[in-house]
Amino acid sequence: MQVTLRIFRYNPEIGRTKPTFDSYNLEVEPTDRILDLMEEVKAYHDGTLSFRRSCAHGVCGSDAMRINGSNKLACKVLVQDVSSPITLEPLLGLRVIKDLIVDMEPFMESYRSILPYMVNDDIPEDGKERLQSPEERARFDDTTKCILCAACTTSCPSFWSNGEYVGPAAIVNAHRFIFDSRDKAASERLEILNQRKGVWACRTAFNCTEACPREIHVTQAIAEVKRAVFSGSLE
Amino acid sequence: MNTQKVKTSKNIEATAWRFMRLSGILLIPLAWFHVLLQDVVVGVHEIDIDYVAVRLANVGWQIFDILLLTFAFAHGMNGLRQVVNDFVHTEKGQRRMAWLLLVIWLIVSAIGAVAVIAGARPELA
Repeated sequence: MQVTLRIFRYNPEIGRTKPTFDSYNLEVEPTDRILDLMEEVKAYHDGTLSFRRSCAHGVCGSDAMRINGSNKLACKVLVQDVSSPITLEPLLGLRVIKDLIVDMEPFMESYRSILPYMVNDDIPEDGKERLQSPEERARFDDTTKCILCAACTTSCPSFWSNGEYVGPAAIVNAHRFIFDSRDKAASERLEILNQRKGVWACRTAFNCTEACPREIHVTQAIAEVKRAVFSGSLE
Repeated sequence: MNTQKVKTSKNIEATAWRFMRLSGILLIPLAWFHVLLQDVVVGVHEIDIDYVAVRLANVGWQIFDILLLTFAFAHGMNGLRQVVNDFVHTEKGQRRMAWLLLVIWLIVSAIGAVAVIAGARPELA
């Protein structure tokens, strides 16, 4: 089948300082992925096209972008699931460096701010490991699935209007440790998120939940963190 | 289950967020009852100055109307504060706008309360 691929282009290095769209007509299979089409353009039509990709199987999260206006992973969307012309644009709310590549540093800075690692200086009872029941593990299972693709944060209208908002992804990753029975830094994380630029900037738009390629219940996770701030309970 | 309990500090943002939820819940019966009574049971064409005077002569209706005005307006003004925060990004600017909205809320609520109380004709009660 024939499809038209419209790709956002911006490359100040070669004087393309004004964003434009380039169109490519391609002969494809309905089961091809959008990433396959991009690879074809880069290989056979325009080698200067720039985008991030790594695993190409929905695990690394590097090829998140706007596909026909919705945040998605290019490696997880099939041609048969979108209508032609297929428009590819960089994620919103982050500075575009070149073509489909955005500056992820503000996103990563927010991620680092919520202490995304286990904090526990206590010596385990048996001196070896910190045991956890299946129920305790299940409490934060959903938020362990985050791949930091930024699809949720860059779909959030609160983040678009205020880049200081830590964003859904940072809260999801805070949730992953806050509700982990082995972790001891929940109060620090809740204090970090108990600010105007923390969970209270969330307006429950649900864009994040819709955008998450891992189907994490993002808005629910944010609501659970809000409840923990008020109740002090980590159940 | 993680039975740990943690302590968190309370701040204006957290309080404002909770207020929006609680006032929103309270506004549902207040606003719906108001609309149902005035527009359906009584009917807009039956509402005249005499009806209003009789209604406001009742202390219960005075409290209801003042509550409806202050809660609905506070709910709306806090929403407006959130919108302002999307456009004003400095701490100082946000604080000034919040105070301005608070003052507007106080003045309009006071005018509304005065109108409700002063509009009453106790002899009709």
